[in-house]
Amino acid sequence: MIPNMRHLFIFSGVCLSTWFLFTYLWPRLLFIVYKRAILVKGSGDGPIPINTLYTEPQTLFADPLHPPASASKLFTTGVNRDTLPTVGWLDLSKEPQVLHMPDMGSRYYSVQFTDPSKNINFAYVGKRTTGNSSGDYLITGPGWKGAIPQDMERISSPNNSVLVLGRVFVENEGDIPAAYHLAAQIQLTPWGHSNPTGKQ
Amino acid sequence: MNNRRSTFLTILNSAICGYFLIRLFFFIDLNSRTVQIDVIQGILIGFGLAFVTAQIYARIKATKINGWITMFGLGVPGNGMFLRAAHAQLFPGPVNVPEEAMYWTTSGDGAGHLLSGEHNYVIHFPPDGLPPNHAFWSLTMGNPKNRFVENPINRYSISDRTGLTPNVDSSVDIYIQNTAPAGHESNWLPSPPGNFILWLRVYMPDTAILNGEYKVPPIVKTK
Repeated sequence: MIPNMRHLFIFSGVCLSTWFLFTYLWPRLLFIVYKRAILVKGSGDGPIPINTLYTEPQTLFADPLHPPASASKLFTTGVNRDTLPTVGWLDLSKEPQVLHMPDMGSRYYSVQFTDPSKNINFAYVGKRTTGNSSGDYLITGPGWKGAIPQDMERISSPNNSVLVLGRVFVENEGDIPAAYHLAAQIQLTPWGHSNPTGKQ
Repeated sequence: MNNRRSTFLTILNSAICGYFLIRLFFFIDLNSRTVQIDVIQGILIGFGLAFVTAQIYARIKATKINGWITMFGLGVPGNGMFLRAAHAQLFPGPVNVPEEAMYWTTSGDGAGHLLSGEHNYVIHFPPDGLPPNHAFWSLTMGNPKNRFVENPINRYSISDRTGLTPNVDSSVDIYIQNTAPAGHESNWLPSPPGNFILWLRVYMPDTAILNGEYKVPPIVKTK
């Protein structure tokens, strides 16, 4: 009996490490699915390129029963009639990105920044957190150092990969064009463009 | 994931993992094993246990009131690894932190029976009992696959901006049924003929919601 006990130890060791590893990696595995949905499949108009934002088309919001066949299932599952979503996936490893926000008037909106390795929202731009006036935000990856222009607020990401999810309130059917017009003005540009001195 | 399906998977998974663990710890398997089997079984059972513990922890951490399920603390920085795995079970996506929005969902009525278009339901908000918020709230209909439901008036959700008619005592009844409720069309949320689920969303919820004081009323079967 005694020599065979090693099977028990090997099994227990592997089992415990796997258990711990999967529990730890669960959010990360979940967000691989989201990353694929954004960068590979897209929401009906093809893949959404990295470091760009895509707003759900007005026609799809108005008639949610007939999503385009090419859209990732993730974008058409989940029932939301309140806000027009704007999504994008960031890679901050090369340079920061600048988020441009239009003036949202008095409308509810939020832009959520999610760390896909942990599924935590490390920052928000929105009515609740930053207010509704227009502005630019510098989104930087971990360890980035540089001078931040005075008219920009910095958002420090703990991860070079970031899921960006904007939500712009839609009052009713008639309000869809106005909401879309605002949501589509939420834009990203690479830091190099806004920083012509080339300093990164 | 559908709640009943995940319950089933959790039980099935526990049974399978339990079976192998018991065999092992009573030394039934020990003499006929190889290291390869140890490793393969270890990975499979480790994964099974990760799912089971996350599911169980999710159920412990979930707040269930009047048939509605919610979780506090979704997406908050500082959540530990076990809590993050638990959150991913019931709310598998990039959902808001509680201060931005709270979500309640249910596939059953207040008595615990599955919601179905074969029945009529009412959700009754007492006077001043609509979800307190600083942005908006909505009640949205979905089929069991979490997709929109076709209906004759193209109303997929009912909310603070769809023109609800209050009762004389200023309470509000929302009628959740497959056919239009005569005289209460403005408060009608159309359901499909079969099973369905509901989502209650409250954006920028008031402190009464965040501290758990506010209770979402049950969905009551009337027919």
